[in-house]
Amino acid sequence: MSECEIMDEEIQEKIQNVVVFMCNECGQGSANTAGVARMAYEPAIRIIRVQCTGQIGPIQIMDALDNGADAVACVGCCIGACHFFNGNLLSMHRIKLMKKLFKELGYSDQFVNQYTSRAAEGETAVGDFEDIVERLSTAIKEKGTIKDGC
Amino acid sequence: MDVKIFQFNGCNKCFNETLLIKLDSHHKVQYIAEPKTWKGEKTEVAVITGYILPSDIEQLEKIKENSAKIIAFGNCTTMGGVFALANQHGYEVSPLKNYITNCLNVNSCLGEIEELNALINGDEPVKLKPLCEVCHRRATCDYLDIVQRQIELDDSETCYNDLGFLCNGFIAKECKEKCINYNTPCRGCKPMVERSGIRMLGMFGTLMGNIEMATEHSEKGATDKLADAEDDVTRSLPDILGNFFRFTLPTSGLPKGRIASSGKLIEDVFTGRLIEELPLITGLLGGTNSISLTLKVIESYEKANQIEISEQAKKYREELLKLEVDLKKSVENEDAKQYKEITEKIRKIAGNMNLSNVFFGGFKSKINENDNFEEYKTHVFEVVEGTYQNGSVEYSIDSDGIIKEIKIKEGKV
Repeated sequence: MSECEIMDEEIQEKIQNVVVFMCNECGQGSANTAGVARMAYEPAIRIIRVQCTGQIGPIQIMDALDNGADAVACVGCCIGACHFFNGNLLSMHRIKLMKKLFKELGYSDQFVNQYTSRAAEGETAVGDFEDIVERLSTAIKEKGTIKDGC
Repeated sequence: MDVKIFQFNGCNKCFNETLLIKLDSHHKVQYIAEPKTWKGEKTEVAVITGYILPSDIEQLEKIKENSAKIIAFGNCTTMGGVFALANQHGYEVSPLKNYITNCLNVNSCLGEIEELNALINGDEPVKLKPLCEVCHRRATCDYLDIVQRQIELDDSETCYNDLGFLCNGFIAKECKEKCINYNTPCRGCKPMVERSGIRMLGMFGTLMGNIEMATEHSEKGATDKLADAEDDVTRSLPDILGNFFRFTLPTSGLPKGRIASSGKLIEDVFTGRLIEELPLITGLLGGTNSISLTLKVIESYEKANQIEISEQAKKYREELLKLEVDLKKSVENEDAKQYKEITEKIRKIAGNMNLSNVFFGGFKSKINENDNFEEYKTHVFEVVEGTYQNGSVEYSIDSDGIIKEIKIKEGKV
């Protein structure tokens, strides 16, 4: 948690809600493992359990951002290891397009991200959470939050 | 019935189209091209065309107070339209419903007169099918192996999206302009769902399932850097905003753009768009000058890159230019009958009033039954970086075919 601790208070105040869609298999599995191992992570992270990250598309991401999320991330299974078929790849495709869309509008592209984790290793989920907050704080430092037009 | 038609900002094609009300109705129609000078008098129906800027609020209030029924006519008024692409550069082009919540909407670019007549008379709104139902191409919705920016015109059976050629037809209703009949994919000006651009983006993102994506593992064994990696997915769609939110940017819920503005709204609409989209956009927003503007853009590029044009194509283009002059005259004289005749002639050559059939190197579909289509058929052209100029239009494109700068001198377009 070292990176989180050195975060500016001002920026920490701006990161209140990070919506993380975690898939029911690897994503939620690794979060459970992290919980069993009592690993700590940023309180701003709000986990939403979904069956597969393939369910998450631009509509859900924009709904979250419109309703007050500071950032949105998807955590799915590792590439090639989707428990269904290729849901994580599909959501990655959409998220890449969303990132590009934000860039085209002149915003930072770090408000939307896609990660993977492994159910047996809790540190992968916590590592992803740390990375989300780290990238978001860099983006906010440079350009401000999405609400005040980063 | 007492009908007043107002033209706000933007191209005046929809305003001109309302001339057709006169043809088969006994309404008392009054045209107000400059709402600022309108004194305000009671009216039964107010039809508003053109996009709305924050500076128009005063006039809108006046119209709201004096009218029993308000109808937004055309895509610019209902959803912001193609001009709203300037919002990418910080403008506040907005649809009428942001200011007048209970207005009736006639969507699509160009607005359809039959629907407007139905709303004025208080009839049931015209029921429309989804576009894919009336399209003669058939979709399989298989994952794409490639995304194409231009296609050769030899396949008329397969869905554009199956060819990897982005078509917004999935989210659109059937319309009169029917770009799809002229080898042009649907631009999505008449959506049947809320937030159509975002939904179409999700749909096309899914269709792109087979497109190669960066998948190397990064340090932590996670994919934290992969979503940022440049790969075929991001490269194949260089202009997402222009492709998916062409008509619906203000209603899509996306935040306001922060790209630096050039100072002119019309130029900001074009900046960032793709070269193959350029004639389509000029056809949409050029108003009464759309034909000459489109041909100027096309000819400058053809001339610089030695794209050969057949005599037949030149003949058709000249004919279009002549029709444009006649069209202007008929609009000036408010002659509805003549207007209808001329637009029918334009539609015959250019496909529709948005000039879907006109393209670099010729035309996209057969104009006359007896013609040899091979003579003026367009082909896939190379994107060449450079600056192109023709009369009052000057634009420069980069190596990806994205328009970096454009100058349109006013009054001469």
